[in-house]
Amino acid sequence: MKPVFLLFFLILAGCTQVQSFERGRLAQPEMAWQPDALEATLNDHIFFSKEASSGGSSAAGGGCGCN
Amino acid sequence: MAVAQPVVVAVVTEKQGRRNKEERRVKRIKKAKIRRAPSRSLMALSATALALPGIATADSPPTQSTVSYKYSNYQEDDVSRREAPFGERERYEIDVNQFRLLMPTGRNTSFQLDAIRESMSGASPWFTTADSAGNPLVNLSGASGIRDQRSEVALTGSYYLENGTVSANVGYSEEDDYRSRYIGLSGQRNFNREMTTVAVGLSYADDDIFPTDAELFNRVVSENKDVSSAYISISQIINQTTIFQTALSITEQSGYLSDPYKLLDVRPDDKTQIGWSNAFRHFFIDADAALHVNYRYYHDDFGISSHTLDASWYQNVGRDWQVVPHIRYYSQSAADFYTSIDDFTKPIEQFQSSDYRLSAFGAISGGINLIGRFNDWTLTLSTDRYIANEKYSAYNVNEPGAGLVSFFRVSLGIDYSF
Repeated sequence: MKPVFLLFFLILAGCTQVQSFERGRLAQPEMAWQPDALEATLNDHIFFSKEASSGGSSAAGGGCGCN
Repeated sequence: MAVAQPVVVAVVTEKQGRRNKEERRVKRIKKAKIRRAPSRSLMALSATALALPGIATADSPPTQSTVSYKYSNYQEDDVSRREAPFGERERYEIDVNQFRLLMPTGRNTSFQLDAIRESMSGASPWFTTADSAGNPLVNLSGASGIRDQRSEVALTGSYYLENGTVSANVGYSEEDDYRSRYIGLSGQRNFNREMTTVAVGLSYADDDIFPTDAELFNRVVSENKDVSSAYISISQIINQTTIFQTALSITEQSGYLSDPYKLLDVRPDDKTQIGWSNAFRHFFIDADAALHVNYRYYHDDFGISSHTLDASWYQNVGRDWQVVPHIRYYSQSAADFYTSIDDFTKPIEQFQSSDYRLSAFGAISGGINLIGRFNDWTLTLSTDRYIANEKYSAYNVNEPGAGLVSFFRVSLGIDYSF
């Protein structure tokens, strides 16, 4: 676990203060965590029903008889 | 559940500053709406409105309403002759219709309505046997196959505060043999001059299973399971073109967890799952493209661990188009009680399952998406070809899964902002 914490501290140390008026690039749709929310939901659902894994970045949503 | 999104405002050059003043005057007269995904110069102009004091520093609802619809067709490859020398080989075909409406409802609130309707037909693995060489053979469910429809509806409400957002959601899903009711609560808060966002969430689902033809095939008649889940995520702006997120989730399932449609399937009545996800986004200014890389590690107490690594490249083409090639690699280990050949001599209380989804395998998938943005409209065409194979596995494969799936998926989506 130590190398993981070291990595996170290095990432935080490498952060430059970005003013709100400098965040234009980050506002572009292609920089969103999920540019296509319906696609992300669909993929989560397909992979959930065809593989054993689920979750990670959000709490479990609704159920279906597919897993 | 929504994940943390950094608060952003566009940069304003001196030249645009002068154009801004005139544009804003015209806008006030015309009461033009702020575009959600416009051309770059227009976005810089509209975003200056967000730079006004008091607005830039608060979390705020979306400035526009958006309605979205996506149609998808999902088709599985037939089982190979080698794995199913006799009988049915055709597997699942699914049509999915997704609908979403997102609306600001006040200065500090918004709501979102989601509806899904899917139709599925085809057959799925019923039980496995061995051929004369001891290799597993797959027997699909019946000649008539399955024909089922699923409908789901969910409502999410969000409340926006000075430094964060709180959301709650409730949903319901129903199909011929399954019903799920779920709720969720989440919140996120910005720190460090909005460079860092921490989000937490909880969810709970109560599911009922009532298999079709239960008495005819000696299946369970009516069972229940519940699922509780929690997550925490931290998002960080690294610099003007880079963001990173790490998240941890834990899920507890209890109740009937076996597959009632398998001839022999006995699983424990509780399962604990953990997932650790990481997301990286970087914008390449010279290429005018964004790179997405995601990695997730998963583990559960059925004995399954997995790695998921995917990458997408969002290439801007001209003013209105984006081409997005994407690729994904997945690999999981087998459940402790997985067996590729059903053993009907084992006592019924002993855990076992020949469900390929519990076997050790790897999967590679990829495709290309095309996105077009025109004024208030966005059109998306997306494709995905997925192939699972025990040879792709990063883990030891003691018993190759029988009936690993391959599929092709194509989707057409449309969004309208108003």
